[in-house]
Amino acid sequence: MTAQTPARPPLVAALYAFLVALVVTGGAVLWAVLAGPAALRTWLAWGCGTVAVVLSVLLAVTVYAVRTSARHRARIADMETAADRLADETLPAVVARLRDGASVDTALGHTLMPADEAHRRIVETLATEVGRGERMRAAAMSACASAAGRVQALATSMLADLREMEHRHGEEVLGDLLKLDHTTAQAGRLADSIAVLTGARSGRRWNKPIAMESILRGAMGRISAYRRVRLHSSSTSAVAGHAAEGVMHALAEIMDNATSFSPPTSPVHVYVEEAQAGIVVSVEDSGLVMTETALRSAEAAVSAKTLDLMSLSGTRLGLAVVGCLAGKHGLTVSFRPSARGGTSVVVLIPQQLVTQAPPKPAGRPTEPDLPVAGLRAAHDAQAREVHERDAHDAGARERHSHRSDVHETGVHDRPAARAARPASGAGAARETTDHRPTVPDRDTGAARDGGASRGPDDPHGRSAPQDRGAPDVPAPRGAAPAPATEYGPSGLPKRRRGQTLAGAPIPQAPQATGRTRGRSHEESAARLRSFRRAVQGEAPPARPTTPENAPKDDPR
Amino acid sequence: MSPLGPDDDPDRLYTVTGGRSRAAGSRFDLVTLIVAECEPAPGMQSEHVRILELARRPTAVVELSAALRLPVSVVRILLTDLLDTGRITARHPRTAARAELPEPDLLKEVLDALQRL
Repeated sequence: MTAQTPARPPLVAALYAFLVALVVTGGAVLWAVLAGPAALRTWLAWGCGTVAVVLSVLLAVTVYAVRTSARHRARIADMETAADRLADETLPAVVARLRDGASVDTALGHTLMPADEAHRRIVETLATEVGRGERMRAAAMSACASAAGRVQALATSMLADLREMEHRHGEEVLGDLLKLDHTTAQAGRLADSIAVLTGARSGRRWNKPIAMESILRGAMGRISAYRRVRLHSSSTSAVAGHAAEGVMHALAEIMDNATSFSPPTSPVHVYVEEAQAGIVVSVEDSGLVMTETALRSAEAAVSAKTLDLMSLSGTRLGLAVVGCLAGKHGLTVSFRPSARGGTSVVVLIPQQLVTQAPPKPAGRPTEPDLPVAGLRAAHDAQAREVHERDAHDAGARERHSHRSDVHETGVHDRPAARAARPASGAGAARETTDHRPTVPDRDTGAARDGGASRGPDDPHGRSAPQDRGAPDVPAPRGAAPAPATEYGPSGLPKRRRGQTLAGAPIPQAPQATGRTRGRSHEESAARLRSFRRAVQGEAPPARPTTPENAPKDDPR
Repeated sequence: MSPLGPDDDPDRLYTVTGGRSRAAGSRFDLVTLIVAECEPAPGMQSEHVRILELARRPTAVVELSAALRLPVSVVRILLTDLLDTGRITARHPRTAARAELPEPDLLKEVLDALQRL
């Protein structure tokens, strides 16, 4: 019963018990001795005394043992509690803080440290190690991310360069350029994948919606076996620019999986359908049927909320990348056995990423624009062909200057050509076919505004191809005699660049021939007159020109 | 002539041509006139659709190339596809165009008249 008071240390309790027992047994012994026969008193006293002492000692020892063990039990319980707290609260809190990017000191400072010295050391050691690991991980991630970003940038600029070269060079090198283009696109995808996994921003951003067809082709352009992909899409929808790259990349990874896990000759079919919830893209291969577990684990991989780097195995990054992108853009990716015998991956692009396709940026060129565009292209193409023929023995430097020259002319051409278009292009065409006697004022007005106010500069710009010595460009539309570029090889006087019309060599005898096909001399004269009238209709007659209202670069 | 900006389309040219870099047989030159023989059908490649739209009136290969902003060689490949399936016809305008050109004499006349203005 004395053992009940826990505050007393075991030794004190034992002594106390010993004394109490001694007193009690002593009393009993005394009573027994007094009550016993006198002859036996001495023996009785000794015997009972010994027994009493032994009993007391035993009692004391027992009390001591009981108290000590109780004390130990309490201590063990305390330690267990502390260890539990360490394991369940302190360490996770420290690790969580470290994972969130706190430094070791901050993490330790914000945590209630255990009282136990050993526990404290455990926490400190662990915090240091985890902190170092975190720093290493972050450093490795950011190194990867920045390397990936640089590779992305290189790939993007290389793709742009290649595209430019594909436009510039002819058919002989196109195949090689396309091969390089394809390889670069794949390298770009790999860099994109690493960027996605390391949490960097993905590739490039498009600031316009990308049509579904372009999305699919962009995706299939990034995989090696793109020739096996068959697109079946009549969708006119588009994917919002900010998500387009991600969607393309995810689809590219899925198509890559599909092509690499199906026989190398079998096609991979991509179907697009527009559903209520968005656009559904299904990628079907005819490869191995994935087992139920494989399907489940693939779905788990693509629906993981956060990326687990442990799940990356070797070079198989695809599904993890798809998972990251799906999480980022809200895509839903599901796997199921395909009716064709392989696996079908269904990607749902949510409605909020879907817009209507913008009109093709290349422009449905408005009708009047066409001849100009065509001529410009013809001009460029012809100049290029001439140039490429010449360039065989010319050095690269010369090529460069030549090209920039072409550029310059092109740029120069544009305003004049565009302004003068209605009169000299469409207008003239209409006139020749309609045989109309007069030119509408509006047309010639435009000609005057754009062409005449520029004065002699206008023909200068338009006849640039002649200066290149380019062969004549036949009119793209057979009926329309193209503007000044037609003069070429007919033996007519050529005006050099920079020379005004007035300064051009005047033929010796303005021989008036009656041999104008399909049109009489009078008619031609009337047309010229009407042209002149139209030109002068809005401006004061040319004769009393004062220096102020004379065209700036008119030499007269 | 750089129609390519940072906002170019994402599709690469080899996906447009399906990996081909050369038209089988060179049946088109720059000024071959292309005439569409049918309306674009749904599900066709968008470039084919655009070619058919543009070529409702006879249109030269260069013009198609300029309007589609694709290299001429790529346009040739696309046109070969369309020609093989009979969706377009091609004719070489050389002689026809020549015949329609104004006579040099007329042009001389125009030049003289202009100089007299």
